[in-house]
Amino acid sequence: MSLLSDVAARLASILWRRREERELDEELRFHMDMEAERQRRAGAAPDAARRRGAIALGGLERTKEDVRDARGTRLFDDTMRDVTFSVRTLARSPAFALVVIITLAIGIGGTTAIFSTVDATLVKPLPYQEPGQLVRLYEGYTGDPSPHNFVSPTMYLAYRDRLSSFDHLAAGLTYDDAGADIGTNGQPERIHVLYVSAGYFAALRRPPEIGRAFEPTEENGAPSVVLSHHLWVDRFHASPSALGAELVMDGKPYTIVGIMPTGFVDPLRPGADVYAPLDLTPGLDPSNVDNHYLTVIGRLRPGMPLSRAQAELDALGITLGREYPDAARAVARLYSLKQDMVGPASRALELVLGAVGLVLLLVCVNVATLLLVRASARAHEFALRSALGARRARLLRQMLVESLVLALAGDALGLIVARAAMSGIVHLGAGSVPRLTTLSLDPRLLLFSVVVTTASAVLFGLTPALRAARTDPIDALRGEDRALAGSRGHNRVRSALVTAQVALAFILMVGAGVLLVSFHRIRSLDLGVDGDRALVFELHLPDARYDSTARALFYEDIDARIARLPGVIAAGGISKLPATGEYHEWGTRPLTGPNVGLKDAGIGAQQRVVSGDYFRAAGIHILEGRAFDARDAAGTPKRAVVSTLAASRLFPGVDPIGQRLRTGGFDWEVIGVVPDVSVDAKGDRQPTIYHAHAQFAGDRNWALTQVVSTSAPPADLIPQVQRIIAERDPQLVMYRPMTLAEAIGAGTAQRKFTLVMLASFALVAVLLAALGLFGALAYAVKLRSREFGVRMAIGADRGTIRRLVLRQGFVVTIAGIAIGLVGSAAFARVMTSLVFHVRPLDPSVLAGAAGVILGVGAIAAYLPARRATAVDPRSIL
Amino acid sequence: MADSRTDLVQGTLEMLVLKTLALQPMHGWGIAQRIEQLSNDVFLITQGSLYPALVRMRRRGWITSSWRTTENNRRARYYSLTPAGERQLEAERAAWRRASGAVNGVLNARLAPGTA
Repeated sequence: MSLLSDVAARLASILWRRREERELDEELRFHMDMEAERQRRAGAAPDAARRRGAIALGGLERTKEDVRDARGTRLFDDTMRDVTFSVRTLARSPAFALVVIITLAIGIGGTTAIFSTVDATLVKPLPYQEPGQLVRLYEGYTGDPSPHNFVSPTMYLAYRDRLSSFDHLAAGLTYDDAGADIGTNGQPERIHVLYVSAGYFAALRRPPEIGRAFEPTEENGAPSVVLSHHLWVDRFHASPSALGAELVMDGKPYTIVGIMPTGFVDPLRPGADVYAPLDLTPGLDPSNVDNHYLTVIGRLRPGMPLSRAQAELDALGITLGREYPDAARAVARLYSLKQDMVGPASRALELVLGAVGLVLLLVCVNVATLLLVRASARAHEFALRSALGARRARLLRQMLVESLVLALAGDALGLIVARAAMSGIVHLGAGSVPRLTTLSLDPRLLLFSVVVTTASAVLFGLTPALRAARTDPIDALRGEDRALAGSRGHNRVRSALVTAQVALAFILMVGAGVLLVSFHRIRSLDLGVDGDRALVFELHLPDARYDSTARALFYEDIDARIARLPGVIAAGGISKLPATGEYHEWGTRPLTGPNVGLKDAGIGAQQRVVSGDYFRAAGIHILEGRAFDARDAAGTPKRAVVSTLAASRLFPGVDPIGQRLRTGGFDWEVIGVVPDVSVDAKGDRQPTIYHAHAQFAGDRNWALTQVVSTSAPPADLIPQVQRIIAERDPQLVMYRPMTLAEAIGAGTAQRKFTLVMLASFALVAVLLAALGLFGALAYAVKLRSREFGVRMAIGADRGTIRRLVLRQGFVVTIAGIAIGLVGSAAFARVMTSLVFHVRPLDPSVLAGAAGVILGVGAIAAYLPARRATAVDPRSIL
Repeated sequence: MADSRTDLVQGTLEMLVLKTLALQPMHGWGIAQRIEQLSNDVFLITQGSLYPALVRMRRRGWITSSWRTTENNRRARYYSLTPAGERQLEAERAAWRRASGAVNGVLNARLAPGTA
């Protein structure tokens, strides 16, 4: 009942303290005057009356104190006094206070920012109902530890028909980055089309908002489309009459059967404008079972664990292997869709998370060390205060307040650092790390790091008061070294902490160093092509106006025309650029040579379809035989150019030229050998088979990316190429022109993101460790300055003292490096997946990290050593 | 506060202050005077205990204060009873009656005949 008025009154007392004090003064003065008046009337002399009035009041100050007590704000007042005192105390050792505050700020700010990144990109659920049931299905070949190939349509249909673990198993066509030109007023515009199977939206449990999804009967490339919400709004002004209307894509009319709801994010292609049904008509050739190009996602039946679904899939795989000899070595693997979506980024982020943990640990250790060292330094002060009668609780409270003042200052600064770091991360990772745009500072995570670091600050901050209670004040006051410098056990704890600091910093440095070396190698990696002097762009020929013959003629013709432009060296097209990822890995087996008939003769090989003078345009030299030319036209026997890896695997020990192989349902004669080029940005080389577009145009509508090598800046070429294309067909779009280097470079952006993160972490870690080491040694020297003074007074020279201090520094540094080495070995295992062309425990990296840490340790030890010997013995004694 | 003796005195003092204010709003000095008068100078109210008690009672919401001028034209802080204070006075008066009755009962007790 009176709680509210009580709290209000106490608050008022705190808020209007001045006024309350003034009013108290006035009230008591009034009382005294009235009392004096009364005494005077009773006959006393004025002076005596006033004095007696004062006596009656029971001592003015005492009364005031009692009134203040009665206000119930004593705890607050004392705390404020402690805070003021703490700030004054800390201001007397600003270096210590600053180091602790900056350490906390960096620790809290950095870790919160990184934790939030991990949370936003890794931990947040997929925006679909029951996201845990969503899986991604990949195919691969026996023995592949991590199958990540696309799925062949034959297999997809078999899985869909025969697996009982799934509610839905849906397929989409993502590898093509399929686009279509929708023409309005003669101004063609390119949009993204995602071809999907029936059940795609059902698997995601996001059916169209208006209209319907695709039926299984439409899985023959039926002219139906489902519009994305944004295209519906942009093109049809969100009119319901759009349903049933026509959308002309690539000159072909499609009927709009459905419109997706707003807020639907496609898991396979987030920017998809239009959905169209997949063509799943069984191929003409049954060996097409080994032709992989579908992206398959599925929704498990409720309660079905991934492992059981995988077991069913494995069993079915064996059956299918018997039915389709071409798929005898095929395996399929399920992954959780979420893991798959953040896939490559997730390893990077896990690594960053590990680094964050280490930094946080380092911060705690650092703060602990500094506070312990300070505790030793203040042993004298606390012994004195304890001898003077300060109660233990009082000392504890004051230390608590002092630690909290430090911690809160660090927390506040940490918040600012976190905000700055967040905007930096978003800026850095934009475009290369999925879902980074949704990033915001997570309050839970902020709380986590604040609590952890503050707890460590408070815990170790209390030690001087705790020790003061245990130490015999007489010892401390006599200046006994034991009491002053802390007990031996206490010193051991401190040394252990400094060693841990060094070890943590070492591990972080090694991690960053390894990535740095790896990144440098990737940058300077020979991908097998020259990227700066080549222009690339996509050119899509709509089925409606171009049949396979027309496409074959068009690409050859346009390449020839572009090649005649001044400054152009060569022009050609390819179905997938080098170093941009895997694409069309088809089973390939030799028909001639030593391996024919061997059980394991078949290999998985990357298939590429090329037009024009692609090899010269991309800077790939012919090693043996010849490149494609006019002889390899439609209707002639099918010929292939193979990479050296493909040649050596398919035809070991024999001349590959003239050998025959089978892939994609056809037999091919090898006419040339080219060097391997990187399949991805990591420099990974795989056996590759090149096909001439002119011979293979009938297989499907290959949207060839054109490559034009030039002696002039590639950008200058764009208008001329555009004019040539417009001359041939004004409705075609020269899509996404850029340099080859840019097209390839996209793959390295993500690793750069990780690298910059880790590198800044390592820098921070080394900085923190240096500060900690310096602080710890400097204080240790200060504590022993009396001992050093004695030693010098009885004849020790400065060099001896310096060596003593330096040795102390080196012992902990080297011990820390040794422990860090062991830690690095453990950390290296995590890094192996992310690091290329460098051993995780690269000796040069280890040596470099050890060198830096030793150097920092030497400086941190030398400065206090110099100060120790600069002391005049007389001033100490 | 830890001392039980002050508690007793404090509780009694608060009851007397409440009673005084129930008669009319009054400033601190006036309250002390009135209690001394009414108790025939048995209770000497030390101001060192009066003012802390007033602050506590104000915190509990029993009394409020406002600055007014006295008949001698001086500014003084006048205290007055709140409804909560009136209820508190009644409660304390009842408790006091019970307690003093019980104490009197004990003090006036005589051995009943035939019980020894």
